[in-house]
Amino acid sequence: MAIASPIAFLVLWEWASATGLLRAVFFPRPSTIIAHLRDLVLDGTLWHHAATTLSRIGWSFSLAAVLGVAIGLAMGLWRRLREGLDPVFAVIYPIPSVLFLPLVSFLVPAGEIALVVTTAVTSFFLIAFTTTHGVRQIDRLVVEAATHYGARGWRLFAAVLLPGALPFIFTGLRLGLGFSLIVVVAVEIVSASRGLGALLWLSWQVLKVEDMYATFFVIALLGALLSYGLAALRARLLTWVPDVGER
Amino acid sequence: MPTPEPKVLVNEVSVTFESRGRSVVALDRISLQARAGEFLCIVGPSGSGKSTLLRVLAGLHRQSAGEVRIQADHPGTPLTAMVFQEHALLPWRTVRDNVTFGLENRGVGRAEREARTREMLAMVGLARFAQHYPHQLSGGMKQRVGIARALANDPEVLLMDEPLAALDAQTRTIMQEELLRIWATLGKTVVYVTHSLEEALLLGDRIVLLTARPGRVSQVYPVDLGRPRGLEVRASPAYGALLETIWSQLREEVVRAMAADRGPESDGLGA
Repeated sequence: MAIASPIAFLVLWEWASATGLLRAVFFPRPSTIIAHLRDLVLDGTLWHHAATTLSRIGWSFSLAAVLGVAIGLAMGLWRRLREGLDPVFAVIYPIPSVLFLPLVSFLVPAGEIALVVTTAVTSFFLIAFTTTHGVRQIDRLVVEAATHYGARGWRLFAAVLLPGALPFIFTGLRLGLGFSLIVVVAVEIVSASRGLGALLWLSWQVLKVEDMYATFFVIALLGALLSYGLAALRARLLTWVPDVGER
Repeated sequence: MPTPEPKVLVNEVSVTFESRGRSVVALDRISLQARAGEFLCIVGPSGSGKSTLLRVLAGLHRQSAGEVRIQADHPGTPLTAMVFQEHALLPWRTVRDNVTFGLENRGVGRAEREARTREMLAMVGLARFAQHYPHQLSGGMKQRVGIARALANDPEVLLMDEPLAALDAQTRTIMQEELLRIWATLGKTVVYVTHSLEEALLLGDRIVLLTARPGRVSQVYPVDLGRPRGLEVRASPAYGALLETIWSQLREEVVRAMAADRGPESDGLGA
């Protein structure tokens, strides 16, 4: 089913566009789109834009992951810090991230850095939230038993609190990575001349609809690959989690 | 008190909890002792502070008054090791790594750690499951890991907080026999909390009966049913008579506890 349903969808689309049921100007036939996709790949355009987007995601996701996990762990461990930061986070988190672009541009040099920082904002919050929760949900009895058996300080952190929070940290990372892609494309649409978002928007504005769909497809594929990559990493690292171990 | 220095000495220990601005006395001037190698059972109604007493012995909770002394005969080993009711294993560590955890924390060398761990896993019959994670084990097996983890540390005193309460009846019976075998092999001093009088009679050398809250020592009963003891002891007349005697006293306490405590019951832990 996982393969059959997309193929059936494409065949239906091909047929609808070929017979004129869908207007080919807006809904070109998938076979045409694939031909355009091939051209974009062959002339290097796609690679040029995809590499830019990937590098932006790499930077902003790394920034969000490092800060999000660190601050999330600290908030999970220290109640004072959590109570202090919670209201600040509650106010900032729901703001659509693209809106931070002008604000961020005042703080750091506009351009590449502003773009990366803006992209990191939402991912950072997601990762920090889930990490905090990850620390807080650890069974208190397990922590108590570990303390009873002599785990203190760094050892308690490294052998008990961090592994206990890890499944939630991974959930946060996966969500954060997805949001990095969403936001980077949005920011590229608004303010960049390179990147998949820029390519998609440009194709639409000059009505190269086939190119727009081809880019669209590449973005979706990228999202799926990133998500599966992280899931595979999780399966390797978290062998003790029931849903991983049972497979 | 007669005889040499006891292994465990609890002298006039009181514990008071603050709960919603009111102070609740969980333990009221408890005094008891256990000889070296003794299997001491503590029985009492819910809310009598049995678990609290054990937590004080384990150093997990500080008493409000009184003193606790545990005689250290083997320097370098911990005074106590606790087997928790809900096993409290680390889910992200394999069976082997759970058992070795305390030794790791104390900086015991690798070779000794591995040897002890293997020995204890063999003793509880889990040698083949060393690489399993806790979620892959049954309740009874998890509790075996909990016991192996405690014993691996070679504590002066083994503390057990209703370790079999969460198991089904058949598993519990098998585990009781296992416990008797392990205790006979190692000769550890054990302080064992249970709400089951039958279990206490099967396992214990003496039974300390606690009153309903606030927990005080109501009576101490020697269990003169001979050793080695097995399940067949339940058929003996002496067993029946002792059960009858202690139960009539415990029954009173249970009724008193139920009358005094109409609200959500707690054992001082809020659970």
